[in-house]
Formats: sequence, C-alpha cells, structure tokens
Amino acid sequence: MSETSSAVTAFEALRRQTLRRQRLQTLAGLLIFSAILLISFQRSQFFSSDIGDDPLGRIGEFLNRMIPDLKGEALLADSRTEGSLAWWYYDLPRWLRLGWQTVEMAIVATVLGAVGGLLASFLCARNLMPIAAVRFTVRRTLEAIRTLPDLVLALILVAAFGAGPLAGVITLAVSTMGSLGKLFSEINEEVDPRQLEGMRASGAGYAAMIRYGVVPQVLPNYTSYALIRLEGNLAGAAALGIVGAGGIGIELQRAITYTEFDTYLAILLLIVGMIFLIDIASEAIRHRLIGLGESR
Amino acid sequence: MLELHGVTKRFGDTLAVDNVSFSCQRGELVGIIGRSGAGKSTLLRMVNRLTDPTDGHISWDGRDVSRLNGAALRQWRRRCAMIFQQFNLCPRLDVITNVLVGVVAERPLASSLMKFFPAADRARAILELDALDMAHAALQRAGTLSGGQQQRVAIARAMLQEPELVLADEPVASLDPVNAEVVMDALQKICRERNVPVIVNLHSLEIARRYCTRIVAMSKGAIVFDGPPAGLTQTVLDRVYAGRMTPETAPFSIVEAA
Amino acid sequence: MNPGQLARARQVAPEALQPSWRRRLINWALTVAAAAAFVAMCVDLQLAPASVLSGFGKLGTFLANSMPPSDGGDLPRILVALAETFAMALAGTVIATLVALPLGVIGAKTVVGQPVLHFVFRRSLDWFRGVPSLVWALILVSAFGLGPFGGVIALALADIPSLAKLFSEAIENADEKPLDGVRAAGVSPLMALRYGLAPQVVPVMASQVLFFLESNFRNAAVLGIVGAGGIGFELEERIRIFAFDQVVFIIGLYMICVAALDMVSQSLRQRLA
Ligand SMILES: Nc1ncnc2c1ncn2[C@@H]1O[C@H](COP(=O)(O)OP(=O)(O)O)[C@@H](O)[C@H]1O
Ligand SMILES: [Mg+2]
Repeated sequence: MSETSSAVTAFEALRRQTLRRQRLQTLAGLLIFSAILLISFQRSQFFSSDIGDDPLGRIGEFLNRMIPDLKGEALLADSRTEGSLAWWYYDLPRWLRLGWQTVEMAIVATVLGAVGGLLASFLCARNLMPIAAVRFTVRRTLEAIRTLPDLVLALILVAAFGAGPLAGVITLAVSTMGSLGKLFSEINEEVDPRQLEGMRASGAGYAAMIRYGVVPQVLPNYTSYALIRLEGNLAGAAALGIVGAGGIGIELQRAITYTEFDTYLAILLLIVGMIFLIDIASEAIRHRLIGLGESR
Repeated sequence: MLELHGVTKRFGDTLAVDNVSFSCQRGELVGIIGRSGAGKSTLLRMVNRLTDPTDGHISWDGRDVSRLNGAALRQWRRRCAMIFQQFNLCPRLDVITNVLVGVVAERPLASSLMKFFPAADRARAILELDALDMAHAALQRAGTLSGGQQQRVAIARAMLQEPELVLADEPVASLDPVNAEVVMDALQKICRERNVPVIVNLHSLEIARRYCTRIVAMSKGAIVFDGPPAGLTQTVLDRVYAGRMTPETAPFSIVEAA
Repeated sequence: MNPGQLARARQVAPEALQPSWRRRLINWALTVAAAAAFVAMCVDLQLAPASVLSGFGKLGTFLANSMPPSDGGDLPRILVALAETFAMALAGTVIATLVALPLGVIGAKTVVGQPVLHFVFRRSLDWFRGVPSLVWALILVSAFGLGPFGGVIALALADIPSLAKLFSEAIENADEKPLDGVRAAGVSPLMALRYGLAPQVVPVMASQVLFFLESNFRNAAVLGIVGAGGIGFELEERIRIFAFDQVVFIIGLYMICVAALDMVSQSLRQRLA
C-alpha cells in the first residue's frame, strides 16, 4: 500500500515538474511569437500605411474598375463597338499567341529541368552514389538553386541574355532542376534495395541495375512530379513576363501601366483558363501513364 | 568445387562469421541450419560476394573468387546464382523480363538498356519457366503473382544464368508448406539433373532432414556440426540452438523433429 | 537451342516469344513525334545556340565583376529591407491562416457532406489556386501604392486557396477511430472535436503553415520587384545598374536568412510530428 502511494507521489511530482516546464515553454514561445508578429505588422505598415481613409472602399472601387463595361445588346458585336466581348478582349490574337508562347516556355523548361534533375538525382541519392563528396556538392548546389527566387534569377538572366523567352526558359529550367532533382533523389532513395540486390546477385552491372531495378520502380512517380511541376511552371512563365522574360506576363504589366484594369482581368482570366486546361490534360496523362507504366 | 578457408566477417564489433572453412562438391545439396543471427545469410552473401569477407579465402575450382572486382566479379556472380527469402524480383516488370535479367550480365549494354533480348534467350527463359510450370504467366507483372509463384520465377532467373553453383537464402521461409515443397523439389531436381552444388539456408529442421544430403550447423558465426542428416543428434541440436531447445522458444518444426 | 526446344517454347507461351511489332512501332512513332514537337517549340521560342553562348559569356563577365562582393556601404538599409521582407511573409502567412481555417473546415467532405456544394466550393478554390502572388501584387500595388501593404495582401490572397485545400484534406484524412473512441466516452460534440480530431489535425496544419511561411519568405523577396518594397526592391535596383558585387552580397545574405528560417521551421515541424 505504501509502495503504491509513494509511486503516486513520485508520479505527481514528476507531472507537476513537467507541466511547469511545458507551461513556461509555451508562455515564452507565445510571447516571442506575438512580439515578432506585432513588429511584423508594424514594419509592413499593415495598420498604419497610408492607403487612404477608406481602404475597403478603394478595393471596391478597384474591383469595380476591373469589371468590364459589357453591354447586353452589343455583346457579340465587333471590337469597335463599346461593350462587346470582342471590345473587352480587343487584342485577343496577340494574347493567344503570347499565351501559347507561355505554354511552350513551360513545356521546354520542364523537359530541360527534368533531364537535369534526373542526372542530379542519381548523383545525390545515398543508395546509388557511393562517393560522399559528390553527393554533398550536388545536394548543396540544388539547395542553393531552390533558395534563389525565380524572379531574381530572371532579372539577372534578362540582363545577360536580353529580353525574350530565352531568359525565361533558362530561369524555369534551372529552378525546375533544383526542385525535381531533390524530389527525384528522394524517390531514388526509397527504391526497394532487395530488387537491386537480386539484380546484383545475377551479375548485372550499374547501368543494367538502373534500367531494370530502378527505372520501373520510379518512372510513375517521376512522371507525376514532373507534370505537377509543369503546372507550376506555367504560372511561373506567366509571371516571368513581368520582368521581360517572355510570355504573356508582359501584357499584364502593360495593362497595369496604362491602368487598363478591365484588360488586366481579361488577361488574368485567360491565364487562369490556360492553367485549368493544362491541369486537366496533365491529370489525364498522369492517369494513363500510371496504367501504361505497368511493363516499363 | 567450392572451398572456404578461414572465412571471417565482422560488422563493427559483431563477429558475424567466425573463421569458417568447408568445401562442397558437385551434386551435393547442403543445408545450413542455425539460430537466427548465427551468420547463415552472411556466409552465403560472401560466397556470391554481395558482402566482402573481412578475412579468409573463397575459391571455386581452385580459383580465388574472394578478391575479384569489376567485370570479373559480375561474371562470378552470374555463375553463382542466388535465391532470396523475399524473392527480390522487380514487381513492376513482367515475369519474362525478370527472368531475362539472368542474362543481362552477358548482353551488350545498349541492347539491354533498350530491353531488347534475342529470340533464343527469350525461348530459353520460357523453357526455364515452363520447367517450373510458370510459362503461362510470362507476360504478367511479377508483383501480381503469389509468393510461391514469385519464388519459382526467381529460380527460373537463377537457372537462366546457367549457374555452376546455386545459393538459396531461406528460400521457403516466406512460403506456405505446399509451395515450400514445390520450391524444395525444384532445388533438388536442379542439384541432381544439372549436377551443381546447391547450398540452402533453412530454419526448418524437418525440411533440412528431408531434402539435404549434408547438413552444416552454425552457431555464433562458427560451424558446430558438419555431416549427414542422420548425425544430427539431440546433443548436437542442443549445441546448435545453445540449450534453448525448450518447447517455448524452439520453432515448431524443431520440436517436432527433436 | 535446338528446333524442338524452340517449338516447345513457342507452344507454351506464343505471345511472349513474338514481340508485338505494332506496339513497338507505336512506341517509336510516339517517341519521334514527342522529340519533333520539342524541337519545334525550341525553334518557335528562338532558343538559338548562338544567343545561349553569348548570354553565358555575359553571365561570366557579371560573375567576374561581382568579385569581391561588397555591401556598397548600405548594410543597415539592406538589413532593414531583409527584416521588412520577413515581416511581410509572416503577416501574410498569419492572415492567410486565419482566413483559410474556416474555409478549410467548410471545404472538408466530412463536414459539408453535400456533394454538389462540396464540388463547387473545391473547384472555385482550384481556380484561384492558379493565380500566383505576383499577379495579385501587381494589381494591389497599383491599388494601394508602393509599399509592403499590397505585398502582404497579395501573399495572403495567393495562399488562402491552397491552404484551405490542404486544411480540408487534413480534416478529411483524419482517422475516424479516435473520434469514435472519444464519442464513445460520452463527451459533447465540441469536446469530441477537441480530443478526437484536434490532436490529429492541428500538428498537420501547423506544419503546413510553417511550410507556407518558408515559401512566403521567398515570394516576399520577389514582390519587391513589382514595388512592394523589401529586399526584392533593393536587388532590382542594383541589377538595373549592373552593380553585381552588391547583388551577390545581398543574395548571399538572403540565402543565409532563408537557410536559417528553414532550419528553425524544420526543427519546429519535427517537434510537432
Ligand atoms: N549489414 C550488416 N551490418 C551489421 N551487422 C550485420 C549486417 N548483416 C548481418 N549483421 C549481423 O551479423 C550477424 C549474423 O547475421 P545473419 O548472417 O543475417 O544471420 P542469419 O542469417 O543466420 O540469421 C547478426 O548478428 C547480424 O546482426
Ligand atoms: Mg538470414
């Protein structure tokens, strides 16, 4: 009996101690967090910034100016009639051309980046690259690439390669390589080692081991990551135009500069629609490839 | 003839295999028994060179194979086929490709990267599968097969290697009794018809007694018994299983056999 | 291999021995078509090797000019700009979380069971998920003038749909069994959520929010380029005047901050898991 009660006392003491420590930690964490948060809101001038006396009204007015002045009776008239759809999308052929250019940029950059990422992923996977120094270097390089924001890289590349899609494609390809290289190497590291061992025991060499032991396991995952990345690159390519790296972004920038907010909305809807279509297409491809991947 | 001289393997502080010497002739079916952790797998893996010995020599027909590397090592592995407890097939590849992996070591790089195999190799693969009654599943994915079927595919791969020596690491430990019998029969047939030595790790004494022409017992990395199945007396078993042959701890089959 | 054996093999597995020429042909045709399409796209984008080479040449010059990196005597200003960028990221993430939480709860299939409603809600979130923060920032900066305020809202707007979706999924993926267990103890629905659902869901959500904080720190740096202030603005200014020694200095400093933030957030996430 006395043994039990001493056990209870010991437990209670321990519990009180743990609780006290936990509470102290939580309190300190909360204090630090709220201080940082407060400073953050203050620094970003969230409450103090000079945005007029009626911010909500301004947003409202702004949204209002984004809505095009469409007139029901003139909706289908030609582009010279004010209030028609054609008048709203007055430069549609050009936007479509630039939109297609954006899609091409995204595709080319994804392919180049995926190939680069593939090579890098074999060089930094623990189970496939025995030399630690190579793994370390490749890993750090990929990490550095991922840290650098795309737009900053694009700015520098536009300065070097001139305005146009080339700078955009290189930017996206590099950043794709950074992220896919890491994801691919994680997939590589999860490869079932028993299959590789089975192949090694039959005398297969390195290349054959990759071909028969690794590729069939990883191909479906690779494809699905690359396609997800393609969707991201499309949005990225659309944004890069803002700094002159090709694609439809340049038109967004122009619309803002000339305060054509309804045009901005028109192009924005076009981009969103484009992303939506690519989304559906890549979903379909993904499902088919997973089925097809059976005998790869 | 396979010969081991003072083969030793250390993993850090663990002495997995301790100064093992033995030899084995064509046509022998050697069963290696011993408690889990006794060093059975490590011993077989050293013969195939999936693991490098810390010390000692392994030779085949008088040629030292324990220091080979590169292409010569791959050639040796091709000649010394290995079968695993978990089959170690590629589940997403079809059965025939899994079997054809057995000839990849001899094929030119480019054509094996393209997954191209000559008709003669494919025909041989089919015949090996047929011998194990698996030809009907040639185009099925290996992952869709049952354990016993996968093990037979793995044996077909081993046979396509035209091995001079067959190693099997607990080939029936993951199988039900019926499939275990099918697989053991196949190994016995290979041993007799092709006249190659077969070394098989087993945890079931009953199976070892039934199929093997010779039994090697290991304990703590060392060989403690080497002889015909009939020589496995209770005293020997006590030594092999380190006095733990109580009904609670011994595997079911051992109790039965003892 | 003698003819008898070959015949035997043919007999037991005919398909395995006759490779399907049609399938091979289709595979080849697809491969060639894909390669051709890729080349056509490159040509259409005018990715000429000559311009690639000259561009890399110029990059080399930039790199040579950037050594040694220097702060250009502006270190305090750069540090303030970095702090401002972090402030933008944190404020944006907190606002996004606060808005996404109720949206995520509504979007969970297990909460709103009505399939049509659920579908419409999820789809409309999907539409907005495609809009990058930069696109929001462009418009918000022109609405509210230069400064971080527009940036904060832009980050929040870009995050809300994705976070809401992730929150919904976290709720949907929660294990029902602990919830049943708590319910079986006879507690009120609210307490069932508190003890059955929250312990599963909150750590997942918190770790997602931390991920978004990390990525927002990167995005916030970018927003400066379109006029939201912070480190992006400082960088753009210096790239425009080709002051690459300072560019490299700022990028280096920024990368260290990103790595530090990632480390802190990673260790927090590990403690959550
Ligand atoms: N790769 C390895 N690294 C470290 N220790 C190992 C490794 N493989 C085996 N061992 C150790 O070597 C000993 C023998 O293992 P093993 O050969 O697998 O025994 P068995 O197959 O007889 O069960 C065990 O103590 C095991 O823990
Ligand atoms: Mg073992």
